[in-house]
Amino acid sequence: MSVYYEGIIILACVNLLAVLGLSLLTGFTGSFCFGQAGFMAVGAYVATLMTMKLHTPFAVSLLGGMLAGGLISIPLGYPTLKLKGDYFAIATLGFAEAIRLLIENLEKITGGSRGIPSIPTRTSLPIILVVTIVAIIMVRSYISSRHGRNCVAVREDEIAAQAIAIDTFRYKQISFVINGLLAGLSGAFLAHYVGFIQPSMFGIQKSTELIVMVIFGGMNSVTGAIVAAAVLTGLPELLRAAAAWRLVAYGAAVVFIMVIRPQGLLGTWELSWKNIQRLWQGIKSIGSHTNKAKA
Amino acid sequence: MALLEINQLNKRFGGVVAVDDFNLSLEESTLQAIIGPNGAGKTTIFNLITGIYPPTSGQVKFNGDVLTGQQPFKVAKMGIARTFQNIRLFPEFSVLDNVRTACHMEANYSILEGLVPTPRRMREERELTEHARKLLELVWLADREEELARNLPYGHQRHLEIARALALEPRLLLLDEPAAGMNPDEAQQLMEFIREIKQKFNLTILMIEHHMEVVMGLCDYITVIDFGKTIAQGTPEEIQANPVVIEAYLGVGE
Amino acid sequence: MILQQIINGISIGAVYALIAVGYSLVYSVLNFSNFAHGEILMIGSYIGFYALTKLGMPFWAAIALSVIGAGLVAVALEKIGYRPLRLRLAPSLYFMISAMGLSIFLQNFTIVTIGPNFRTYPDIFSTTPIEIFGLNIGRLDLIIFAITAISLVLLTWFIYKSKFGNAIRAASYNMRVASLMGINPDLIVSIVFMLAGATAGIGGILFGMKYTVYPWMGVLTIKAFIAAVVGGLGSLPGAVLGAFVLGITETFTAAYISSAFRDLFSFALMILIIVIRPGGLLGVVATEKA
Repeated sequence: MSVYYEGIIILACVNLLAVLGLSLLTGFTGSFCFGQAGFMAVGAYVATLMTMKLHTPFAVSLLGGMLAGGLISIPLGYPTLKLKGDYFAIATLGFAEAIRLLIENLEKITGGSRGIPSIPTRTSLPIILVVTIVAIIMVRSYISSRHGRNCVAVREDEIAAQAIAIDTFRYKQISFVINGLLAGLSGAFLAHYVGFIQPSMFGIQKSTELIVMVIFGGMNSVTGAIVAAAVLTGLPELLRAAAAWRLVAYGAAVVFIMVIRPQGLLGTWELSWKNIQRLWQGIKSIGSHTNKAKA
Repeated sequence: MALLEINQLNKRFGGVVAVDDFNLSLEESTLQAIIGPNGAGKTTIFNLITGIYPPTSGQVKFNGDVLTGQQPFKVAKMGIARTFQNIRLFPEFSVLDNVRTACHMEANYSILEGLVPTPRRMREERELTEHARKLLELVWLADREEELARNLPYGHQRHLEIARALALEPRLLLLDEPAAGMNPDEAQQLMEFIREIKQKFNLTILMIEHHMEVVMGLCDYITVIDFGKTIAQGTPEEIQANPVVIEAYLGVGE
Repeated sequence: MILQQIINGISIGAVYALIAVGYSLVYSVLNFSNFAHGEILMIGSYIGFYALTKLGMPFWAAIALSVIGAGLVAVALEKIGYRPLRLRLAPSLYFMISAMGLSIFLQNFTIVTIGPNFRTYPDIFSTTPIEIFGLNIGRLDLIIFAITAISLVLLTWFIYKSKFGNAIRAASYNMRVASLMGINPDLIVSIVFMLAGATAGIGGILFGMKYTVYPWMGVLTIKAFIAAVVGGLGSLPGAVLGAFVLGITETFTAAYISSAFRDLFSFALMILIIVIRPGGLLGVVATEKA
């Protein structure tokens, strides 16, 4: 496979890792996070500094970036997760902006707005693909567990969730931390693929792109999120569409989806053996119906 | 010692007194009702018991432990389950999942096991699904477990909400106007159903109702409130004969 | 010097106040944060800009055009992106997402069509400052303050004295009950958005005059949101109070610490208020009923 296509898949996986976290946090648990780029930035910079200053092996840097993303979500979560939806959204936006500002101003460590160049490009297709697949499996598993059901209950109706003994705050917190871990990991991979990082890569636009992917894919389907991440990463790359028109289309599409089909492209449909069998049954029965109609 | 003891419960919202010096003593395995016109403060009392907001003053004790000031999920953990006046099912969940989610306490497997399945998790999931299915059978919804909860007819939704509450294996069940929106026949059926589950699960029940006749044959003790104040308390016979109650209730009981 | 900063703070606070009031108005009636509010501000600013430059209109006409234009756009956005959700009783999460979509669409549409360049309003008022009590106050700042004061007074009169205003306040307590009283919710919502758009339009022009016009100036709304939260979300006086508090404290942070940390500080202020006094300075309490 050519390097070009490999690159697209790698970028799709980078986005997908962040989208997986967001799918769990915003999609399934219902906490609208506007600041995903902030977590990615934390992961990217920590991992980069570990590689460049401490000369740690790639796996350790990745782990460092991932844990940094997860750890920072803990103190951030305490004051913000108690808040109503829109407050939380703005607070996470504020967090991402604060991180960006911090990075820009701690020039000695982070290189300021010019960033850190010449990062060894250790991200290879097999590595990120394996990690992404493992992440997908784990997230899907979580969602189908009793913990996942509790998360969705929190999203659907917090008061009713509390009435059936669900500690809503704790579950939001857990989703927030998992999201932080995945976003941190995503940032770490990104840094070691692109070869340099700058705060401008982790601005509102990035956060928006990721949220849009979750919305497209449906807030109830990990499969949908995967498809959306793949398509929305690959398509613009392949078509080389003007970046601004792409965002115009995204904006319109988001409104369209909310008004017409808020469950997203796939609704709650997940790729599973049972669903494939059902799909197959459905296709077969179309054939027999047409035959009966003819007879 | 009564299972539920409410002492001098008061709740003000700004200048409005929603609940004024409410007292109640609920013995185990009994069924009591709180009756009153709309806006009398009945649901507020439930909300105070379950911890949705704290009282302005007063105390609620459950099984000797102080409830007031606890978070709602802790109250539920202690063994108090409730239904809501406006039915709060989880709309995107199936019938089965609405009940199954409420069974989460029967399992012990950790977050980590949520991410990576283990045999223990599989076993616990099987068991709680079994339990959930049994509860669905109880409300005649076993054959509709895959349907979306929000697509059920109103009466079935009410039953489902009760089944979900039962999943907690509670000692105390709080029912908020369970017969709301039902015609007299359906309401009667529901009361029969409540009588049955009370016996089957040895429940203590506190019920809010608007229709007096509905609860007459069912409860041991009634408290009548209006504008947040208790205007009468007694057995159904006593209440029916009480002139103050009759005056407040002219016209109710269609 | 300090007084000079206070004047600057009041000046930007006035702009924040206009935006925050519109934002709070929508929030109090519909109980959701209109994240696309900033784009209405932006559109108002551009309308004013083109009215003054391309159409050569006098200042007052330009403001009027901007107010009407922004108001109409706001109503249109409501019909397209929020009304369908409102009729479906969609959860507030969906409103937020739709608002975000509208915001992205409008911002980028402007970038693609008009272009991302910063525009400057022509100098309409002489830049020589006026002396009052020994202070040099810019004419523009006075005008901004005056226009804001007049707008807020008009708005307050409308909300508290007019028939429609009463309907709006009724709806803000309970939309369903208000509709049972014969108030048409669609009409109320449209009026609310019209008002919000109008104030945003004025805010846009004023901001454009003092600073610049650019496609993503809508992020100013975040400041307005912070202002509304600081004062007490859902309360109009709170929005005004919070706006001035924010404007002044921001200006001081920028002047005496650093302008980079100005925005950081604003967010920190919001978090502080949310944690210590969630109802804002005016103590607005909202409880959810079971």
